[in-house]
Amino acid sequence: MKKFHISFLIIIALFLGKNGTAQTRVVPAPAQDTPILLQGATIHTGTGDVIENGIVAFADGKITAVGPAGTSVTDQGNYEVMDVSGKHIYPGLVLTSSDLGLVEVSSVRATADFAEQGDINPNVRSIVAYNTDSELIPTFRFNGILLAQTAPRSGVISGSSSVVQLDAWNWEDAAYHTDDAIHMGWPNKEFSPRWWMGETNSRPNPNYDKTVSEVDQLFTDAAAYGRIGNPDIINLKLKAMQGLFDGSKALFIGTNDAKAIISAVKMARKHGVQRIVVDGGYEALLIKDFLVENKIPVILSDIHGLPSYDHEDTIFPYKMAKEFSDAGIEIIISGGAGYAARNMPFYAGTAVAYGLDYEEAIKAMTLNPAKALGIADRAGSLETGKDAMILIVEGDLLDMRTSKVEQAYIQGRKIQMDARQQWLYKKYSDKYGHDTGEGGR
Amino acid sequence: MKKLTLLLLYLVGMSGLLQAQETFPVNDVQDVRSKAYAFTNATVFTSSDTKVEGATLLIRNGKIEGVGKGLSVPQGYTTVDLGGKFIYPSFIDMYTNYGMPEAERSRGGGFGGAEQIQSNTAGAYNGNEAIKSEFNAAEVFTVNDRDAKGWRDLGFGSVLSFRSDGLARGTSTLVTLADNTPNQVVLDPKTAAHYSFNKGSSRQNYPSSAMGYISLLKQTYLDAEWYGSFAVQPFTDLSLQAWNNTQSMPQIFEANNWVNILRADKLGDEFGVQYIMRSGGDSYQRLDEVKATGASLIVPLNFPDAYNVDDPIDAYKVSLENMKHWELAPANLSYLEKAGIDFALTVDGLSKKSDFWSNLRKAIDYGLSEDAALKALTEVPAKLMGVADMVGSLKEGMVANFIITSGNVFDEDATIYENWIQGKPYKLNDMVAPDLSGQYVLALGGDSYDLEISGKPGRPQAKIVVNDTTDVKVNLSLDEEMVSLSFNPDPKDKEGGMISLSGWIQDKSLAGTGQMSNGAWVDWSANYADPLEAKGERGGRGGSDKAPELGEVIYPFVAYGNKEVPQQENILIKNATVWTMEEAGMLENTDVLLENGKITQIGKNLAARGARVIDGTGKHLSPGIIDEHSHIGASSINDRATNSSMVRIGDVVDSEDQEIYRALSGGVTAIQILHGSANPIGGQSALIKLRWGHAPESMKIDNADGFIKFALGENVKRSRSDNSIRYPQTRMGVEQVYVDAFQSARDYEKKWKTYNALSASAKAKAEKPRKDLAMETMLEILNKERFITCHSYVQSEINMLMKVAEQFDFRINTFTHILEGYKVADKMAEHGVGASTFSDWWAYKWEVRYAIPYNSTIMMREGVVTAVNSDNASLMRRLNQEAAKAVKYGDLDPYEAFKMATINPATLLHLDDRMGSIKVGKDADVVLWSDNPLSIYAQAEKTIVDGTVFYDMEKDQEMKKEIREERARLVQKMRDAKSKGGSTRPARATYRHHWECDDVHVYEGN
Repeated sequence: MKKFHISFLIIIALFLGKNGTAQTRVVPAPAQDTPILLQGATIHTGTGDVIENGIVAFADGKITAVGPAGTSVTDQGNYEVMDVSGKHIYPGLVLTSSDLGLVEVSSVRATADFAEQGDINPNVRSIVAYNTDSELIPTFRFNGILLAQTAPRSGVISGSSSVVQLDAWNWEDAAYHTDDAIHMGWPNKEFSPRWWMGETNSRPNPNYDKTVSEVDQLFTDAAAYGRIGNPDIINLKLKAMQGLFDGSKALFIGTNDAKAIISAVKMARKHGVQRIVVDGGYEALLIKDFLVENKIPVILSDIHGLPSYDHEDTIFPYKMAKEFSDAGIEIIISGGAGYAARNMPFYAGTAVAYGLDYEEAIKAMTLNPAKALGIADRAGSLETGKDAMILIVEGDLLDMRTSKVEQAYIQGRKIQMDARQQWLYKKYSDKYGHDTGEGGR
Repeated sequence: MKKLTLLLLYLVGMSGLLQAQETFPVNDVQDVRSKAYAFTNATVFTSSDTKVEGATLLIRNGKIEGVGKGLSVPQGYTTVDLGGKFIYPSFIDMYTNYGMPEAERSRGGGFGGAEQIQSNTAGAYNGNEAIKSEFNAAEVFTVNDRDAKGWRDLGFGSVLSFRSDGLARGTSTLVTLADNTPNQVVLDPKTAAHYSFNKGSSRQNYPSSAMGYISLLKQTYLDAEWYGSFAVQPFTDLSLQAWNNTQSMPQIFEANNWVNILRADKLGDEFGVQYIMRSGGDSYQRLDEVKATGASLIVPLNFPDAYNVDDPIDAYKVSLENMKHWELAPANLSYLEKAGIDFALTVDGLSKKSDFWSNLRKAIDYGLSEDAALKALTEVPAKLMGVADMVGSLKEGMVANFIITSGNVFDEDATIYENWIQGKPYKLNDMVAPDLSGQYVLALGGDSYDLEISGKPGRPQAKIVVNDTTDVKVNLSLDEEMVSLSFNPDPKDKEGGMISLSGWIQDKSLAGTGQMSNGAWVDWSANYADPLEAKGERGGRGGSDKAPELGEVIYPFVAYGNKEVPQQENILIKNATVWTMEEAGMLENTDVLLENGKITQIGKNLAARGARVIDGTGKHLSPGIIDEHSHIGASSINDRATNSSMVRIGDVVDSEDQEIYRALSGGVTAIQILHGSANPIGGQSALIKLRWGHAPESMKIDNADGFIKFALGENVKRSRSDNSIRYPQTRMGVEQVYVDAFQSARDYEKKWKTYNALSASAKAKAEKPRKDLAMETMLEILNKERFITCHSYVQSEINMLMKVAEQFDFRINTFTHILEGYKVADKMAEHGVGASTFSDWWAYKWEVRYAIPYNSTIMMREGVVTAVNSDNASLMRRLNQEAAKAVKYGDLDPYEAFKMATINPATLLHLDDRMGSIKVGKDADVVLWSDNPLSIYAQAEKTIVDGTVFYDMEKDQEMKKEIREERARLVQKMRDAKSKGGSTRPARATYRHHWECDDVHVYEGN
């Protein structure tokens, strides 16, 4: 009898679920039809400001008003008003330098599309390989990431990244800023030791100079190519580089090495590259003035990592964001590549725990990356006229102890928050007869 | 055939020149000479502590005939009057590969290739290629005069030669450095047996880690004993036979660093063997522990060069330990001497043999006494090798190996003139070269000059002293007893010509003829006037008063090590929010008293009873975090045999891993160091407390139950190695490995039971079963004396292993990682197994694609004892937050969630009776947090283990400052060394690999 009871519950659960229907698919949300006004929440605007008991209104996918309670909203009568008192509203988080949609299971080669053959691949474009049905995407959204730069990662010039919004039918739908940047992995002067052979010391890279001069030549040739009005022969690589010189594409320089940052930035500046972002920059404090003078933002994607050097502060990576920020360097907090980027808000939480101003930490995941990705006119903050990329959060987004992203909106569209991980939670909780409460949303 | 011919030619060619050997053919008439010498009027060190002045040394036919004062010289002896020169026994280097051929590297089995499971050695030798106890150096030894000269020039007369190949390396041979036939120079064909933690040319799959090397040596001791117990061996194993035959010799172990010295000593202790250890020059870092081994050491003089620290960004990358070792390495010998550790010196380890003397003198400058240095080059090695009756001192009947020096051989300007080996002289410097040093009056035509000659005999240097501040350089060369001089008497007059003189030595003066710049010939003489004025006389070497100022040793010898290991205190933490993790729940405004390493009181307004009071107002106090699955603090993690249950992480605990300290900064107090997941049956774990600064053995938790790692799935079927041929390759095969291992263990047990039940006489006739360390471990599991933690992901394999255990009537203790535990949580609860899982890892491999962050919540709700684990040095600092993710994802009750980082892992490790909660009587392992420990904002301010504060956030910041100052001091010192002409190496980072489960390491000894 008990057995029957349990299987009966399972059948009910499969067919009904909590909201009456069992979800077994993730469907992109339709365009916003009803204007929405959120009121009563603490609003973190992403610009460094916080509004207690504020309102956010959005219609047709755009933010129409942000401000303290009582801020007037045009045609307020048309808005569906939602009381979100006691909750927090944040801009949708912007993830930089990820490989989302390019890798499904990192150890299974067939599922990895982030590394093209060869060292110089500026023409390779991540957007065309972006898989909107990647099972990782819902797990990122679940923690508040609504926009992601997805980037090739290999060789020296890895390729061109694009920014995608995380609720789409196909990559054309997803494309939010196509070909926003070229990613360059500056060669290492030294190779890490081959620990599996018992090595503990790094070795000089015998090809360092050669590689650097090849890169320099590429930029020289690309700049020259750009000065030809109508080239006889189209060179895909040089063509792809052109946006760097007119500022339409940013150059993301991947390195943690202090001296490499200087070499790479000087090389790029020499050739007229307009917008530069350093991705990594672990040793950047050693050359902080250089970065400040050159107005180069730094992406910190390993705040939860270990110190690189034995003599450093035991918790140096935790303090990095604060120390960089104090030094006057614009910081971007990222979750980096891989599935674990969904922990990005907690990296920011750690930065706050070790001294970074809370709103600065939010800005480092919203407006600052939006600027680096060239989308700050449309996203990255809660400001009138921008796309409605909005998170409603119960608790503190940065603290796993209380954080629960209740609802997210992408371009005003109310997106689905659950996916397979939640369904499996429900499936087995139901099997065992556990009460999941609101869990498994 | 060709080789043999060449060898014969070589031998025949040599025999005419060398001491004849009666058994060899002669291609000439007989030419036997007595070769008898008397060295008179010498200062002779007959042994390192006996100096006889005005002595005579008699040698004949390569042997010492007599030594002492007032010996009369028999007829037929060539007498050499040494005029006060010194004679020492020639030095002995007991750690060389002199005359040894290189071992050929075995083929196959390389990294990423198909595994080589069996030995490839031809002949009836051991089943493991790394056991080469059958090797005898004397059988392949060849004389190589060019190499020999390298040692002879330093004053060495004999060396112990072995081949550096294998864990067991066979025997070495004591040879002299004479250029003679092997038959003549081999003094002792089998002198010592050699061992190492380096498998050398073997490419066999097992062993491939430090712990595997130890296990294989242990098994070989057992096998050899077993093999030797038979009247008639049931099979032939020449390696084991040789092993047994060489046990009575000195046993020499290549340990190469202090931690390996401790490991080798522990191994030796199990089998009643005291090894002599080839150390690495870092013993000062753990002097007490090294001394406690009782081992004599063979010590190299390989002091590292300073780093080139001109560029501060480059210098930033150099680790503190490397900087400090640069400074302290030359003091190592002085530390050893003061500790009373017996040691011999070796040239081994020097990149250039010629650095030997400068480094030895440096060691003396750093406090080593000359007596100890001499002993370490003569008496100690002779004694350690058991050949003190042949070499190492100068007594009648001993081999005539000695050096003649200008004086005290350790003086900066000492000259070794001759090195006599087996009664044959090797001239290093001309002993009869005239000593011209002195002040002369040079008369030349009508002029007179003050000429000053300095320099060593045979290598004079000269100048004309014009006045107190001005000298004129004189080119002076000496050829036998003739001299040539040239100089320009007026250095200001550049056009002025040179005066060139040629002449000869006449008594103490010089005379001759010469030519002025204008071509005119003149007679000249230089009459000896006075000896050279003594320069600032240098005192004797050694003695701590001369030693340079040095930084302090820190424990452990890495950044954030302490000068003094932290001590236990009595501590009262007042007015904190206490997470008891017991029924008592969370207690607000509560005091906790820690005394003698235990929690003694919990309550309000407790009296301090003399304890240090720490204010916990506004803070949270919790039990220490326990990580069930860690790979920090070990020198290796994986071995590669399908069943490697005999290997033990406990053999390779690494106390110097800075991740131990970093883990303390995250509130971790105890961990299980697990074997990796490369094989279905992995190795035995070590349970340690994070007693930062303690030596490896004292980090281990006393009386803890034994655990062993098993693993399932992709790693054990070598999914990522396309060439792997190792069984098993499927989850089907994995099950069979287990069933087979447990079944075999039962059979093994039966065999032993049957044997043990026999009467003594029946036993004598019966075939004794072999003691098999892997089977012993499997039996421990079956007998519930050892417990399984199994790496696991998917539900099928989890279920399978539970069924295997049930079939053999025991229970799995813990499934670790277990990302699909939620699918079989009911079955797990029924089986009684616990879980230790990642909070939210997934998608990194195929078998984890159904991992969900609700896993821990479901298992907890289903009644499975669940913990969060790290497998990762970075993550382990945030296990409190990993537990909190169950609150975020699965709405697990926060208090229940925190159990997953404290009492639950304690329960899984059978330590819940003494750790994991705040309860009177339990170990004083607690963490004081700045905030709710489930919060991202919580910082561990103090981490206390056994009442000892091993991490204190404030002190940590002070240490950071001290480290910066210490580095600044060392950087300055390196700059000074460089500006004084010392050689440097580029400033580079050193890395320490952060082990994870999948890592397979071809461990090479150091």
